[in-house]
Amino acid sequence: MERFVIIGAGAAGISAAQVLRDVRPKDTITVISTDEKVHSRCMLHKYLGHERDAQGINFVDADFFEKHDITHIACQTVDKIDTEGKMVCYGEYSAPYDKLLIATGAGFFIPPIPHFREAPNVFGFRDLSDALKIDEAFARGKRVFIVGSGLVGLDAASALCERGADVTIAEMAPRVMPLQTDEYAASVYQKAFEEHGCKFLLGIGASDAVVDGDGNITEVILSNGDHVPCDFIIMAAGVRPRIQIALDSGIAAERAIQVDDHLRTSAPDVYAAGDCTGLSGVWPDAMAQGKAAAWNMAGVEEVYEKPYPFKNTSNFFGVTMLSAGRLDLTEGADVLVHKTAGEYKKAVITDGKLTGYLSLGDISNEGLYLYLIRTGTDLSGKTDKIFRLTFADFYGINEKNGEFAYQV
Amino acid sequence: MKRIFIDPAKCDGCKNCTLACMESHRQDGGKGLYTLDLTDPANQSRNFIVADGKGGYAPVFCRHCDVPDCAGACMSGALQKNMENGLVEYDKEKCAACYMCVMSCRYGVPAISPDRKRIIKCDFCAHLEEGPACVRACPKQAIEVREV
Amino acid sequence: MNTCTDCLSRNTCASADKPMEEYIRQLPLETAHHRVEGQSTKCGFGLQGVCCRLCANGPCRVTPKSPRGICGANADTIVARNFLRAVAAGSGCYIHVVENTARQLKNTGLHKDKIRSEKALNRLAEIFGVTGEDKYDLCVKVADKVLSDLYRPEYEPMELVEKLAYAPRVKRWKELGIMPGGAKGEVFNNVVKTSTNLNSDPVEMLVSCLRLGISTGLYGLQLTNLLNDVVLGDPEIRMAPVGMNVIDPDYINILITGHQHSLFTYIQDRLLDEDVVAKAKAAGAKGFKLVGCTCVGQDLQLRGAHYTEIFDGHAGNNYISEAVLSCGAIDAVLSEFNCTLPGIEPICDELKIKQICLDVVAKKANAEYIPFNYETREADGDRIIDEIVAAYKERRGNVPMKLFTDHGNKNSLTGVSEGSLKAFLGDSWKPLIDLIVAGKIKGLAGVVGCSSVAYGHDTLTAELAKELIAKDILVLTAGCSSGGLENIGLMTPEAAELAGPNLKAVCKQLGIPPVLNFGPCLAIGRLEIVATEIAEELGVDLPQLPLVLSAAQWLEEQALADGAFALALGLPLHLGVPPFITGSGVVTKVLTEDMVGLTGGRVIVDPDGKSAANQLEAIIEEKRKALNI
Repeated sequence: MERFVIIGAGAAGISAAQVLRDVRPKDTITVISTDEKVHSRCMLHKYLGHERDAQGINFVDADFFEKHDITHIACQTVDKIDTEGKMVCYGEYSAPYDKLLIATGAGFFIPPIPHFREAPNVFGFRDLSDALKIDEAFARGKRVFIVGSGLVGLDAASALCERGADVTIAEMAPRVMPLQTDEYAASVYQKAFEEHGCKFLLGIGASDAVVDGDGNITEVILSNGDHVPCDFIIMAAGVRPRIQIALDSGIAAERAIQVDDHLRTSAPDVYAAGDCTGLSGVWPDAMAQGKAAAWNMAGVEEVYEKPYPFKNTSNFFGVTMLSAGRLDLTEGADVLVHKTAGEYKKAVITDGKLTGYLSLGDISNEGLYLYLIRTGTDLSGKTDKIFRLTFADFYGINEKNGEFAYQV
Repeated sequence: MKRIFIDPAKCDGCKNCTLACMESHRQDGGKGLYTLDLTDPANQSRNFIVADGKGGYAPVFCRHCDVPDCAGACMSGALQKNMENGLVEYDKEKCAACYMCVMSCRYGVPAISPDRKRIIKCDFCAHLEEGPACVRACPKQAIEVREV
Repeated sequence: MNTCTDCLSRNTCASADKPMEEYIRQLPLETAHHRVEGQSTKCGFGLQGVCCRLCANGPCRVTPKSPRGICGANADTIVARNFLRAVAAGSGCYIHVVENTARQLKNTGLHKDKIRSEKALNRLAEIFGVTGEDKYDLCVKVADKVLSDLYRPEYEPMELVEKLAYAPRVKRWKELGIMPGGAKGEVFNNVVKTSTNLNSDPVEMLVSCLRLGISTGLYGLQLTNLLNDVVLGDPEIRMAPVGMNVIDPDYINILITGHQHSLFTYIQDRLLDEDVVAKAKAAGAKGFKLVGCTCVGQDLQLRGAHYTEIFDGHAGNNYISEAVLSCGAIDAVLSEFNCTLPGIEPICDELKIKQICLDVVAKKANAEYIPFNYETREADGDRIIDEIVAAYKERRGNVPMKLFTDHGNKNSLTGVSEGSLKAFLGDSWKPLIDLIVAGKIKGLAGVVGCSSVAYGHDTLTAELAKELIAKDILVLTAGCSSGGLENIGLMTPEAAELAGPNLKAVCKQLGIPPVLNFGPCLAIGRLEIVATEIAEELGVDLPQLPLVLSAAQWLEEQALADGAFALALGLPLHLGVPPFITGSGVVTKVLTEDMVGLTGGRVIVDPDGKSAANQLEAIIEEKRKALNI
């Protein structure tokens, strides 16, 4: 009997636990998490918007741990890993492991702006605990200043707008969601948010703050000198892999925890998966890493292929978007655009291959574009119908099991 | 598990499967092809038939994949592979309409609902004892349910 | 024990006629009833009327992601175009029938041939306001009046419309601008409208359907009957056998199919001539018999009083013609129009049954075409007879017989027409009106039109008729629906037991069944004359009458043209399945709702007999209330 311990109950941790239980029905599995409840960080805005309660943003069944006979140690943060004694230590407790998975995720990052790192009214928006804090702050004041207009910032903004907040978003880049959009797509989203009462400060950052006696920021001072009064601040200007535990335990880590293609860390029998590995920041990749790590931990060799992290979808106020690959133009790239009322699609083609794809509007049935980008499929002869490609253009069937198989 | 096997050589592109799917999943309380609103996007089909450009047709149906891209991308737990019946099941109550599944299905099968609040995906007509309506509607037996 | 070694392994469809269902199931030959299963997957776009094949860009089909055809036509345009095209074709069919019938009357006059009803001739002359030197000249004058109307251009109104139609209706039609021009021109013009990239206005096209309905109803239906009465004789109420028991294998049997009874007048008389009977006897038969199937059989049944020697009775409707032929005792098929199913061809081949076609519009692939020509009818007739005798000799004894001698019944009431019914009631509609006013008869329902099999052979028609009579609603039938209902006994006096208590009492007192057979679908026109005369007597317009129509199992385009007439008359019209229109919100709404405001009529679609009967009863109750009865 082996003892599997997983640190973290996010996408990677939970998917690993699920796989381990599937392959190892009898072994001991323990999940230790700082969070009290399993929740999907991608649904935090549903909680903050009061659309769902905590159980509503749980991405597994409420009885997940009982059902799978997994021990969940909640509200505990692991301080250190004794890689030689094969023990994880949290508070006054410790737990022995035969195989360990670190899936601590990533935490929000506060840039070094005066007062921001110390002020008690500056929050992240990563975990349920963050959402709870914002909820409390919102009860006291409705003026919100959000730093960053990426998906996290807009998630928070959309939730708070729905609740009648006075939201100001500062974005260093000249457009919203700079990583996923182009100018046009950004303008559509900006308009949608503005229609819901949101104000944008683009190409501008916060450079200082005015604080009250308790250290709370009452005004944000912008790089152009303007003052924006606020009741609290949400930081959405990026995340950093949570690596402190690795650093404290002698596990190789720099910006992120280093893993090999089996998701093994530098310490024997210690694996890492999810955002803490820095391989990708999107949910499906964290899930896939958790699963791959679990297979390896269970002794079934599984090579984890490098993820393709440039992909995302968004759905704000019914405006839907799919964004994959690189939209910034490199030399020799062709850009094709299709635009009708309510529909906007853009394809970047480099050397006969799709390297970027953006679709705004009805994104139904467009999953294959990500596949084409990820696999670098040769699209010569097909680029003239780039926006009308379907699987029919690559149609093939695996005769054995009836699944589809790309024919290229 | 069961899977709908496809023989594209037999497909004539009649779209009876498409209409059967629309009829099977209509939400307006009506019954019968006569009254099915063919122009209402809410009634769109889960399957679709595409001309392959070579005189034939490519029927695109959800495969309920062994390793489903869609469920692997789901951050709400709405899409899950049921290991007992093999189906990739969808719980619209759980769905957060993030559409990561739409982006992740390499075959481009899932669609988004017109109200942008859920997805449209094959459920193997779980509500029908006799199994998927599309299969029964095919006059050419180009699709059939087989055990895998 | 029932052993079935040679029957087809496929299922057959249900029939209201259970013995017939079993007979067909055990046939070694394929019939429409066998083919239903194989055609059970229907094209949904076709069902809704949103498949367009009008140009080479098509077929275009309407879906949520492609709501318009390539040309830009939306579902409303596509559906309306398809519908108008069908109505125009259906109208063309009936106009063809009345044209030939009028030509037949004219030739009868010109050749001073046999006239069986001078009364009918005089009635027409009176309506038309024409006089003649003698009865033959009158035939010519009457026929010419009809023909000249039919041949008028579309932009010239037909003269007889105002003379034939009920004045309040004419007034409304004029208000709506739907007085028809020349009937053939109307068909032509409306077919043009439906061609590629022409008319796209669904409402205009539906209004055109009404115009076609009027020309179809007044000429194709009503006048065909009245013209035929002159040469074929007035219907007389009597009891007659129906079903396959009418087939006597000792005779050379000729199955007649079609709608143009007058094309048979010569040959049906000739078959009784001594020299011709001698030919039959020489071949080993007792003589010749005509066996009725489809509407022409019903017409012969209706006028059977004049043809007792040559005609034993009506075997059944269009969808048992294959079964009738399969019995082996039919030696030839003489056809001149629909509903002569292509499905009879392999059966005729297999059983060596001679097929002869008299009118090219209904030319069957393996039939010999001997066009009916008045001038050469004697020589042609003898040739036809000789060929039939030859077929008889060749086939009898060489093909299997599968008689069905106990099918049907011997006492179905027939011969009901606007004239015979009124005469039966004492030359007045008052007794019927009194019964309606007193509530002994709650109302009248015309259960008319075709027989279809896709959802069961006559099953809905039969269920609906039974439900209606149980509600004390007197059912009047015309068309293949009659054939189905008479074979299951609803036209025998004993069927009174199935009626509600009030209607049952009326039936018993008068010795009539609760379902009255007016004969062929053409006689829907007679039924509408009855309605008009009753309305006239009451001094009300047609939509006010406690009268409903149902073409529960409508089959073909002709039925749609008939239906358009019913709507023009302002009558509620029930259909078991929608006429390929539901893909269009506009067309569906106009036909099922807005039509009430236009003509007073409307379409009610209901595939269930019970609930349809409830709906129709509710309408009758409503109309009774409005009339304070």
